[in-house]
Amino acid sequence: MIQLLPHIFNGLTLGLLFALIALGFTLIVGVMEVINLAHGSLFALGAYFALTLIGVDPIADTAVGRWWLDQAIEIRYLTALVFAPLLAGLVGMILEICLRPTYGKAPLYGLLLTFGAALVIEEAIRVVWGSGEQYLQIPPAINGATIFLGTIFSKYKFFAAAFSALAVIGVWLFLEKTKYGAIIKAGAHDSEMVRALGYDLTKLRLFVFGFGAALAGLAGIIMVPIWGLRPHVGIDVVIPAFLIIALGGVGSFEGAIVASLLVGLAVGITGAYASAWSMMSMYILLILVLGFRARGLFGKASALEN
Amino acid sequence: MSKTNISRRRLLTTAAALGGGAVFFGPWKHNRVYAAGTDKPIKIGITSDASGQYANSGASDRRGMGMAIAEFNDKGGVLGRKIETVHIDTETTPATGSRVAERMITREDAGFLIGAVSSGVANAISQVAQKYGVIYLNTNSSSPTESGKNCHRVKFVWDGNGSNFAQAAVKNAIEAYGDKWMLLTNDYGWGHDTANATKKLLAKYGGSVEDEILVPQGTRDFSSALLKLQQASPNVVAAAVGGDDQKAMRQQVAQLGMGQAPAWINNQQDWPDVYGLPIENLFGVFGTTWYYNLDLPGVDDFVKRYQAMYTDTKMRVPGNVFYNGYMATKNLLQAIERAGTTNNIAVIKQLEGHKMSAEERMQHHDAYIDPATHQVQQTIYLATANTGTKDSDDMFKILSNSAPEDVQDLGAQDSCKLESYEETATFDA
Repeated sequence: MIQLLPHIFNGLTLGLLFALIALGFTLIVGVMEVINLAHGSLFALGAYFALTLIGVDPIADTAVGRWWLDQAIEIRYLTALVFAPLLAGLVGMILEICLRPTYGKAPLYGLLLTFGAALVIEEAIRVVWGSGEQYLQIPPAINGATIFLGTIFSKYKFFAAAFSALAVIGVWLFLEKTKYGAIIKAGAHDSEMVRALGYDLTKLRLFVFGFGAALAGLAGIIMVPIWGLRPHVGIDVVIPAFLIIALGGVGSFEGAIVASLLVGLAVGITGAYASAWSMMSMYILLILVLGFRARGLFGKASALEN
Repeated sequence: MSKTNISRRRLLTTAAALGGGAVFFGPWKHNRVYAAGTDKPIKIGITSDASGQYANSGASDRRGMGMAIAEFNDKGGVLGRKIETVHIDTETTPATGSRVAERMITREDAGFLIGAVSSGVANAISQVAQKYGVIYLNTNSSSPTESGKNCHRVKFVWDGNGSNFAQAAVKNAIEAYGDKWMLLTNDYGWGHDTANATKKLLAKYGGSVEDEILVPQGTRDFSSALLKLQQASPNVVAAAVGGDDQKAMRQQVAQLGMGQAPAWINNQQDWPDVYGLPIENLFGVFGTTWYYNLDLPGVDDFVKRYQAMYTDTKMRVPGNVFYNGYMATKNLLQAIERAGTTNNIAVIKQLEGHKMSAEERMQHHDAYIDPATHQVQQTIYLATANTGTKDSDDMFKILSNSAPEDVQDLGAQDSCKLESYEETATFDA
């Protein structure tokens, strides 16, 4: 058991990171019923925006760039943490405008468009930032190792897990405790009624897509110091995110969080005892859950089931 | 019983059609002979990745080939013929590799194929190349199977493989760090081949494998594996983890400060994968076939030529991937010159057993192409992070060099069964 404890803890932190990855994805699927295959590319884009904001090319050789590089890494990192997701959100809004002609049509159109957007974004990243491996600087305070449960853990992993937990709570509070959150949820439940009540559905969709994209960008900034940064890093994101929302129940915020923690635990514990199955464990979990409950853990029953 | 009447007109039409068809669809070697002309450029198909996890290494590989080809074209080409290239992205995907090779040969009329970083892609390309008898240079993939069970008469392998690197490292590491080892192995062909080579050497030199942690391809979180390593506390970890998995692992090992203890023996470290990263991300001992800062004749000039030709690349100095791309291409073109023909069998015979001096290779020992496996037997270097330097390009500290005969992959000779010359289609490119 003593040997297992660090692995359980590790699984939980991993689960929180998965939750951050799935957050924007589940929001867009839940409200707009669009499977955004560009989620991973927006994840990567957020990290690349942060890379530039923290201080590498193309601004490094200008007077402004040199002044900026003289600022403490903490300031530059926090700035990136705020503005890079906003930039990713803007790109997400542009993507939503492109998606509009597909609304009301077969879901395949939206899938194809977001798939195409993913390819375009990835290629744009190659052109602008190059195809090589990059390194996103982080403040020394959250870098390095610490001892916990008699084992060495990464301080950054703690930071990332705590940040993910805060982000999850923040999004939950926004959805549950604010008027805008109520409108978004109503939009997901019955968009026509929301429109009939006088709310601008077009703006709502634009905002939700932008918000989801910003969350993807935020996840990118948090995750790449662990995964590394390269143009196709986003490919690693889409499948776990999709799996988590299917496991938790499409459109369910709580379901996505619980599913993330379960996936983290499954991967973490399997990694300790049957490492070759660690990646497979999340798929086995999905099969087991969907085998007994096709709508996922927290998915609502369809009209046919009632 | 039915009786079939064939008119003379029909007979003549059919014969004409068959004759015409034979010109275009007959034995491949005849088609290719007709296609080749003495003043026609020699066309080389570049089969390197421009997307996927080896996109960056693929670009470096292409630059190496490009420099060699430019140098030959500047002096008039080969056999009086200019060299042309066509590149199609193999996408780090074996299926795409097959498709690209087929298209290069049948539609682009490429007489030679060059380029690979992924062993899976290289294997796929070489199967197509063997079908048509087209010489294929696997420049940069380092799975022992490439010159072992997946060898082909038309394929020549230019990189050192996992077995070569393990042989260079294992005995010394047991003596220096201890005999209690753990293996961290990517759970696919290359990882298993490399780990098996390490296990054999451990058994030979008195080391023991405490445990082997299999890491599925696509793993991005190594925390479980690293926790397990901490709990087992081995003397040495031999990691056969490649591609993006390796990049993620390196980042996480660096964050945990586990790069120094236990001792890490990594397999080959490709230059494009680490160039520009913090030096802390490099840890343990790793292999390479070449380094830009080797104190050997010709190296400085080679680096200057690279810098003059590639002024806009972020990689200011060439690495092992560029070097292999360059050397493979240069030696192919020299082999054509020595053969005095572009006939594939004649060129293959020039390459088989070909000896290359240390000076020509800019390495510490002479090299040669093993005629039994078609792998270049060359100097293998062990290196570690150069932590004391202020030059951000000078990331490696070379620890040792091993002569080819000391690190030869003997297992490859047993498992490689090259097709005979007669089984290999012949043509003039």
